[in-house]
Amino acid sequence: MADSLRWLPLLLELAWLLPLGSFVLIVFFGPLMGKGGRGAGWLATAAIMCSFVLSIAAATVWLSEHPLVHSSARDGSEHDCGASADEHCPAVAHKRAVPAAIFVERYVLAQFDQLRLSVAYWIDALTVAMFCMVTLVASCIHVYSTGYMHEELHEVTDQQVRTADGTALRRPGRYCRFFQYLSLFCFSMLGLVLAGNLAMVFAFWELVGICSYLLIGFYFERRSASLAANKAFIVNRVGDFGMLVGLMAAWSGFGTLALGDTTDAQGRLVQRGIFSQVRPAEADYRLTVPDGMVRMAAAEEISAMVANAHARRPAGEQGQFVEQHKATVDQWQSAEQQSAAAARWQSSEQPKAAAAQRWSVERRQPAAEAQVADRLPWWRSQGYGYWLLVIAGLGLFCGCVGKSAQFPLMVWLPDAMEGPTPVSALIHAATMVAAGVYLVARLYPMFAPEVLLVIACIGCLTLFIAATIAITATDIKRVLAYSTVSQLGYMMFALGVGGWLAGLFHLFTHAFFKALLFLCSGSVIHACGTNDMTQMGGLRRKMPWTAYTMLVGCLAICGAGVPLVVGLSGYYSKDAILAQALSFRAANPAWGGIVVVAFLGAGITAFYMFRMWLMTFAGQPRDKHIYQHAHESPLVMVGPLVVLAILAVVSGWPVPGTALSLESLLEQARPAGAAAGLDQGVLVAGLVIPDEHLSHENPVFHTSAALTAFAVSLLGVLLAAVFYGLPWLDPQVIRRAFAPIYSLLVNKWWLDEIYHYMLVAPTLRLSQLAAWLDRRAIDWLADGLARATALVAQLDDRFDRLVVDRAIDHAADWTYAFGLRLRRVQTGNIRQYLMVLAAGTVALFLLVSWFWR
Amino acid sequence: MLQNVVALMSLIVFLPAVAALVLCVLPRGRENIIKLVAMMVTVVVFAATVWIAIPAHTVQRSSEEPGPVAVSVSPTPGRFELGNPHMQNVVRLPWIPAFGIEYFLGIDGISFPLVILTSFLSMLAMAASWTIDRHVKAYCVLFLLLETGMLGVFMALDFFLFYVFWEVMLLPMYFLIGIWGGPRREYAAVKFFLFTLVGGVLMLIALLMLYFSSDLSKLSQQQRAACHIDQPLVVSLTADRTPQPVHTFNMLALAEMGQMPDSPFDRPLLWDKSVGWWAFVLLFIGFIIKLPAVPLHTWLPDAHVEAPTPISMILAGVLLKMGGYGLMRICYPVCPAAAYELAWLVCAVGVLSMVYGALAAMAQKDFKRLVAYSSVSHMGYVLLGLGVWSATAATQFNTTAWKMGMSGALFQMIAHGLSSAGMFFMVGVIYDRVHHRDLDQFGGLFHKMPVYSGLSVGIFFAALGLPGLCGFVGEFLVVLAAWNYHKALAVVAASVVILTAGYILWTIQRVYLGPHYKGPHGEQLTPITAREVAIAAPLLALAIIFGVYPKALLDYMTPTVNHTVQRLAEWTERLHR
Repeated sequence: MADSLRWLPLLLELAWLLPLGSFVLIVFFGPLMGKGGRGAGWLATAAIMCSFVLSIAAATVWLSEHPLVHSSARDGSEHDCGASADEHCPAVAHKRAVPAAIFVERYVLAQFDQLRLSVAYWIDALTVAMFCMVTLVASCIHVYSTGYMHEELHEVTDQQVRTADGTALRRPGRYCRFFQYLSLFCFSMLGLVLAGNLAMVFAFWELVGICSYLLIGFYFERRSASLAANKAFIVNRVGDFGMLVGLMAAWSGFGTLALGDTTDAQGRLVQRGIFSQVRPAEADYRLTVPDGMVRMAAAEEISAMVANAHARRPAGEQGQFVEQHKATVDQWQSAEQQSAAAARWQSSEQPKAAAAQRWSVERRQPAAEAQVADRLPWWRSQGYGYWLLVIAGLGLFCGCVGKSAQFPLMVWLPDAMEGPTPVSALIHAATMVAAGVYLVARLYPMFAPEVLLVIACIGCLTLFIAATIAITATDIKRVLAYSTVSQLGYMMFALGVGGWLAGLFHLFTHAFFKALLFLCSGSVIHACGTNDMTQMGGLRRKMPWTAYTMLVGCLAICGAGVPLVVGLSGYYSKDAILAQALSFRAANPAWGGIVVVAFLGAGITAFYMFRMWLMTFAGQPRDKHIYQHAHESPLVMVGPLVVLAILAVVSGWPVPGTALSLESLLEQARPAGAAAGLDQGVLVAGLVIPDEHLSHENPVFHTSAALTAFAVSLLGVLLAAVFYGLPWLDPQVIRRAFAPIYSLLVNKWWLDEIYHYMLVAPTLRLSQLAAWLDRRAIDWLADGLARATALVAQLDDRFDRLVVDRAIDHAADWTYAFGLRLRRVQTGNIRQYLMVLAAGTVALFLLVSWFWR
Repeated sequence: MLQNVVALMSLIVFLPAVAALVLCVLPRGRENIIKLVAMMVTVVVFAATVWIAIPAHTVQRSSEEPGPVAVSVSPTPGRFELGNPHMQNVVRLPWIPAFGIEYFLGIDGISFPLVILTSFLSMLAMAASWTIDRHVKAYCVLFLLLETGMLGVFMALDFFLFYVFWEVMLLPMYFLIGIWGGPRREYAAVKFFLFTLVGGVLMLIALLMLYFSSDLSKLSQQQRAACHIDQPLVVSLTADRTPQPVHTFNMLALAEMGQMPDSPFDRPLLWDKSVGWWAFVLLFIGFIIKLPAVPLHTWLPDAHVEAPTPISMILAGVLLKMGGYGLMRICYPVCPAAAYELAWLVCAVGVLSMVYGALAAMAQKDFKRLVAYSSVSHMGYVLLGLGVWSATAATQFNTTAWKMGMSGALFQMIAHGLSSAGMFFMVGVIYDRVHHRDLDQFGGLFHKMPVYSGLSVGIFFAALGLPGLCGFVGEFLVVLAAWNYHKALAVVAASVVILTAGYILWTIQRVYLGPHYKGPHGEQLTPITAREVAIAAPLLALAIIFGVYPKALLDYMTPTVNHTVQRLAEWTERLHR
């Protein structure tokens, strides 16, 4: 590692921890920071800006050690991958080389043999780029929020909430709490990006979820807000449940959750990470089912081998077993203790512990282990454990489905718009919801082709459903929310069809223009006091900055540009996706249908975005009152809009005169072997994920994608203009003509209702049943037992009184009566006594002689 | 030196009982002094356990290669040695020599975390008892007796002594619920008493079965030494000149016998099943009543609803852990054959409890009942973590997953001790003010009591298993470990995270969020007092510390847990030869 690179983990670590510091300070001292906690805003903004500076510094360090080469993307015709320029040609070089990355383990939280739950960093070009993007967008949004949230500085009257006596709710402002949550979110999000093992990913995954929960529920007095917050977290938990299953499968399969290889202080390999297990260099980076999964799938065979190995032991050996065993037990125990001690001491002791473990396993099962090792390659070739790899991939993707609001877990994101608009921009558009896409890209090497196909299908379905719902939405933020869902679907789709770079590229460009769009909508809401577009119109005259920056955002999301020449950022990223989609279609004609949907989605996107813009800013005001009160937002809000608008335009371009561009930076992180056309589907025959470079190198894909997308988008824009701009046609007419479809769309495909009746209500009924069982069955039994015991006791009592007592009483009475009678014998007559005595003696003698005869 | 250890260990166990005696003779009427004395006692006991916890000299290794370990003598006797998997601070004095019953105490990585949890929660619960105003003297006396019983259970190494402490703790609890409880206190107290008593009786039967099957003379000299039996064995002969078995209550020796190749507990007893099998079943039922696991859990909601707040804290925080501790200390080491055979049952009951408890919690209207059911759900993780016998032939006796499961189970016990005690306290705080617990009649508490609500939400999040808080670690380890045992079971277990999120977030929404408070006595919603903060804040702080740095706790646990698991794995391996 070059010297300057040593600073990289530290720089990013600082950038990561600064928002945490800000969070802790605001928790304890927030209300003390100036009037209404104004200082909290400055503190949080300062922290995230410092993080941004540190991220830029990290990027500089990274670039100084890993200079960029010309991107292969965009213009295939210019590209020439001659044999001479092999190492400068990413298309060829990256297929065989592991991307430059740093894997650092900071400290171990828990250790169980080789499995270490640790705080570890995985740093590559993607990490650095994500850091820059997240901190930059977050900085803009922090600045914007200091303006947007200023009402929270003093007491707030919330007109949407009625107290018990029917008046509007008055409550203290929560300015510092807002920034406190925002800081916590930034910390969590950066932690998620920096995470070097899946356990840490999962931890921060949940943490960003809870931040999202807290911020959606920021206006927690509103029932809709608290419901939306719950919905967001619980729906995400459904995804996380899948992710947990994926983690289980990954852990038991790989024997580790670390992404990179763990080495000791001397640089010796201790434990191979997930990436190098699933795509080992020995196998030329082909997808390889890890040993653990093969073994797990072959459990029965291994079990039999172990039994056989012991059965074949010679007879003499059996006798010596006890002694041998005792000796080895001692050794194992000490090895065991050693591993425990090593865990306690320091990480550099680890190899010994691992070695001791392996050693003991070898000693124990020498014969069986040798057999198993022999059979492993054969089992692998028979597809043993492949389904476990697919489950691991699908499980982890489930988490991404939840977080990135993909079908079928997309329902939470539109409701999440209950949160303040800057939150929607930061969390529910630019960063957190993109984390799902980020994670798919990060774990790309371990996805089998079948999993990628599922990802592509889910993405495609999502982008279509969400886009159609956006057509009929009238809440400006909900239009943007559905558009976000749809764009995230695009990214997933891109990743699924092999467009690793295309998906990520779109993630970045989308982050800028969608944050811009949301902040613009926030500015509009701030000015109008409503989200409803049917009450807006003509606002461009009142708030030109907002209107035209938003127009830039709309153009960017539609992928506007002069085809094949130049365009806004969205043009490049969307183009890359569609070109890859065409390439996928060429390789898998059977699955070509989903590509058509993707093109269709581009047209719908253009339509609803311009519908939104035109309804808001163009035409005549629909509500005079609102129009009169509307005003342009203050500088702290407009400033970030301009910055983001510039980024939305240029983020797809290379820095003039250099090779530096977002694409070439991301290209550095392309995982080796993944989506390089190396892997064939096993469960889905003939499935090939085409190499992304093919779509760049083949101008046909590129040109046709660019031209088709341009045409479709133009059609969408024109259609929007026909309905809402010019207006030549009344939307009501169309609505009536296609009433069933309209009703489907306006009811959001009835997803919420379906989930309620299919999932929520049955769960609640089940819970009622459990409570009922407790009271009516288990307690009935327990109480019944108690009552039965009491009953037995009563019977016992009655028995005592009626039978035992009576018997004893009778016996006593009888004895008494007998005594009374006997008294008569006592006459005092000595002669009578003597007679009885004599008779008794005779009788006794007779008896004795009779018996002793 | 030895005397110090005897004094220290006895102090921890018996100081509360002695103080209870002293309190008995104090005049009535000076209630604050009585409370203060009781408080001081719990503080002293806690301080003593903390003193032990401060790590002493660790085990030194002579060289890298495996071999006999040179254990250095700890410079301060009494301090806990990290990394030593064996019993420490062993106190062994004869008590009833005729039956070989001993005053035999010790701590290791399994029991010590629970001991310190007990002393810590007792201290906080005593502080929470400040609002008790009826029969203060009797309350404090019973409370202190209860503490002795609890600590004794976790420290006893003689099975008989363990049983005695187990029963000692029962009576004070009965009276504490039955006298200071809510409206249905008699029903709840009797129910608690009877359920626990049934468990106790089953344990007694198993105890006697094991005792009369045990034979110390089957153990080698070294094995006996490992069980701290250092005097030579006196073996008497029967009339026909066969050596008479030497019975023992020594739990370590019982474990040693249970795991030896020709175990005396393998003798068939009834219906083809061995002594060990029956002992396991009896003990298992006895312990899962305490845990509690479905379907033997119904005493818990009633007991919790009626018990006063501090007693609920103790009940959830400590008493439930005795079930898990008993399984870990007695069932598994002593009866491995039955445990191996019935691992599926243990895991299934665990998962059933997790799911059923979470579902039942969702249906509750009473705040305390909800928290009680969440305990059932959370303690299910403990059973599952213990049960995952994944070191089998198919994994070539790899112990990693099982170590993780058992560590997770133990961690979960501590984490649940913190979070459930915290939740019950938080319910108590609000109950003290408005005197009801109807979940539909709260709302808007965030406005009226912001600090209280913040602390509560933090503690509830810990119970929800949020990363960075203690609840996450145990659940994560257990669920991950379960996969290697049985995939379907693990998937069902993992799905509980959804239900947990459901009922906890719904509770938070109903109680803390919303525009205004809906129930009666709204004017009495005063901000949280300093005393209450002093009880809640340490719980939340520890929940955060253990969540962010679980190693702080795992360092104490793992050596012993690993050792236990390793021994059991070796036992399994022997089974397959």
